[in-house]
Amino acid sequence: MIKSKMKILLLMLLILTTALVGCSTKNTEESGADAGQTEKTITVSWPRDIGTMNPHVYNPSQLIAQSMIYEPLVSYKDGGKVEPQLAESWTISEDGKEYTFSLRQNIKFSDGTAFNATVAKKNFDAIMLNVENHSWLGFIGVLDKTEAVDEYTFKLTLKQPYYPTLQELTVIRPVRFLGEAGFPEDGDTSKGVKEPVGTGPWMLTDYKTDEYAEFTRNPNYWGEQPKVDKIVIKIIPDGETRVLAFEKGELDLIYGEGIISMDAYKQLEASGEYETSLSEPIATRQLVLNTTNEALADLKVRQALQHGFNKQAMVEGVTSGLEEKADSLLSQNFPYAQTDVIPAEYDVEKAKAYLDEAGWKLPDGKTVREKDGKPLELELIYEKAEQVQKPMAETLQAEWAAIGVKLNITGLELTEQVKRFRANDFDLYFFSNYGAPYDPHSFIHIVAEKGFGISDALSKLPMKQELDQQVQEALLSVDEKKREELYGAIQTTLHEQAALLPISYIKKTVVYNKKISGFEFPANRDENPFSSIDIEQ
Amino acid sequence: MGSYIGKRLLAVIPIFLFATLLTFLLIHVSPVDPAEAYLTAAHIQPTDELLAQKRHEFGLDRPLIVQYTQTLMKMCRLDFGTSYVSNEPVWQEVALRMPATIQLAFSSICLAVFISVPIGFLAALYKNSVFDHLSRLLAYFGASIPQFWLGYLLIYFFSVKLDLFPVQGRGSLAHLVLPSITLALGLIAIYSRLLRASVLEQLQEPYVLYARTRGIKEKLIMSKHVLKIAISPMLTGLGMNMGKLLAGTIIVEEVFSWPGFGRYFIEAIFNRDIPVIQSYVFLAACLFIVCNLIVDLLQMFMDPRISWKGSTDH
Repeated sequence: MIKSKMKILLLMLLILTTALVGCSTKNTEESGADAGQTEKTITVSWPRDIGTMNPHVYNPSQLIAQSMIYEPLVSYKDGGKVEPQLAESWTISEDGKEYTFSLRQNIKFSDGTAFNATVAKKNFDAIMLNVENHSWLGFIGVLDKTEAVDEYTFKLTLKQPYYPTLQELTVIRPVRFLGEAGFPEDGDTSKGVKEPVGTGPWMLTDYKTDEYAEFTRNPNYWGEQPKVDKIVIKIIPDGETRVLAFEKGELDLIYGEGIISMDAYKQLEASGEYETSLSEPIATRQLVLNTTNEALADLKVRQALQHGFNKQAMVEGVTSGLEEKADSLLSQNFPYAQTDVIPAEYDVEKAKAYLDEAGWKLPDGKTVREKDGKPLELELIYEKAEQVQKPMAETLQAEWAAIGVKLNITGLELTEQVKRFRANDFDLYFFSNYGAPYDPHSFIHIVAEKGFGISDALSKLPMKQELDQQVQEALLSVDEKKREELYGAIQTTLHEQAALLPISYIKKTVVYNKKISGFEFPANRDENPFSSIDIEQ
Repeated sequence: MGSYIGKRLLAVIPIFLFATLLTFLLIHVSPVDPAEAYLTAAHIQPTDELLAQKRHEFGLDRPLIVQYTQTLMKMCRLDFGTSYVSNEPVWQEVALRMPATIQLAFSSICLAVFISVPIGFLAALYKNSVFDHLSRLLAYFGASIPQFWLGYLLIYFFSVKLDLFPVQGRGSLAHLVLPSITLALGLIAIYSRLLRASVLEQLQEPYVLYARTRGIKEKLIMSKHVLKIAISPMLTGLGMNMGKLLAGTIIVEEVFSWPGFGRYFIEAIFNRDIPVIQSYVFLAACLFIVCNLIVDLLQMFMDPRISWKGSTDH
């Protein structure tokens, strides 16, 4: 009896399994049929839902998706060159306060309405309604008024000259343009937009929260049409799953920063079945030495630490070559980056000599140097969850122990780490700058401006006041040559003072299957790379 | 019976109060400042002035007990506040993602029950047979394997290698298979062993011997008497394992990109989105309490001795 019951049960299980497998096969057939049509689709993944497609808001909206729909007046290209986008040309008044843009005349939003100075002004009005949300962007803080001079002339007037204005106009948000149809009745977009109407090459055509977003080519696009018809962004929060989905063929391309583990990238690269590449440096990983610490206030100690570890080996070893050793605070692809920096070489003897000179002597029988009876002990705080910081912290701990410096390393949650950084409650800290298009001006800005952590950490530099003044002048100067000089001086001081140690240049990664061609990393860190790529059917 | 139900319902209130108080306190002792979390999420540079203003707005400058009562009153009206990140009402965000999580949890429980009942029952009947040993092996495996790893293994073999199921996402029935199995395996391990032990215990009872001597068919004894009583501890297990299931959905949703509430919760933790975290813990506590209540009541119907005990105690 029981045996027959078992048979029935087994039979049921068999039917169930067959049904499920049947479903799955049917499903793949369906999607296969979709792909077989003439439409070219590229499927990519992103770790988070794209959020609301409003050009004037921040998190949780994702930059990559906002940049597909909305366009800026001017765009950021390699080496920090600013090129025309919605504006075909511009003039800057002598005093550096008035920016007048001639807008292109053939531009239409995805709903067919025209882009002109009136719409541009309406967008800026919406942004200025919530100016406190956007004042992190320097030029918004000094923006006096905006005008639609005529149908295709748009003018920005600043309260004071601010040279990075053009560069800041290339950012993804909030200075991109929404079509008339997207505005709510009261014009305040901070509470939401009616529909995501932009001038960009893509339109959002299908979207399911936390699942996917489908973008279709905008038929009204004024520029060169993208080569594929559709981009599907699947939301996959987990890096390993992303790699598995890619290996199975559910994804064509994986693009981003730290979006898959370094091991996974190396493995995919080694398989030889896919194309992989690294971008130009997007930011510099650096170590902040807090000059308000008694020991670190001494230049000699800072120099000793700088010479006391093998940077090349550390960067190679920890990042498997995915990052590049950095000798200067700004990499060469940034505007005003210094080219003639003399790298601080790895030299243990030199490091020891510096410490001796500074009065930190190694007592007999001890491993940690002392001065006036106090041991040379420092604390490095790092982010627990980040894959690079911890092994780097451990390397530094071992390397500096050899020169008689005791380094305590403390892993913290990101929020706690940032909090301590801002409160100037640390000895050493891993920092990375903002990248293009925000740098170099945002970087020098926080060198001078209090409240971000860096300025406070540098406060005991003997020439700090002079440094701050140079920063102010550089940001206000309308004279390109003078600005170049100032940037040079600022970088020289920072390099010589060794309170900000460049460690490595961070790079973006991309992995894609061999059917894809024409991939190029965008110069703007936050921009999407989808316009130039093509896929073989 | 009525008084028993009433008593159980009354007992829910202090448990509920304790759970919410604990959540509230835990959030308050954590080093995260909600005002700062809000400003950071909104991309606003936190200045002392703005922080003070936000703290006042959130009522963080009031005594803890006042804050707690207010939070509680709001929660009872299902008002969980507004997400710091999306600026949408939390309840709306939760409601959007709840169906996916419920679907996953439900299918896993069904799978767990459908698989563990026959396994546990047969393992008891054929004690020490090959089947019993195999079922034990499955139980060890299911109880000890970390869910995220199992998830990756299943994806690797059944999706990438054999191409039977999609790697991630939600949509068709096929999408549901691997996440459900991942979530169910741990439960199968527990339930099948629970049922086996319980069936073996029942088989020793005099009523089975008596039934056998009366010449009642073995099949009837097993299905009508033994299984019905033996399944009771499994029901308790089911209620108690709701926590495991909830924690499981968080991991499984992350691994399989399942668009549910667990994944949203993880994101909220990273964003320090306190209203969302609070609502998650609140709902989890409610779910626990309600599930335990339902299981207790179910057991009462299946084994009336329980409610007798409840009333004879007094």
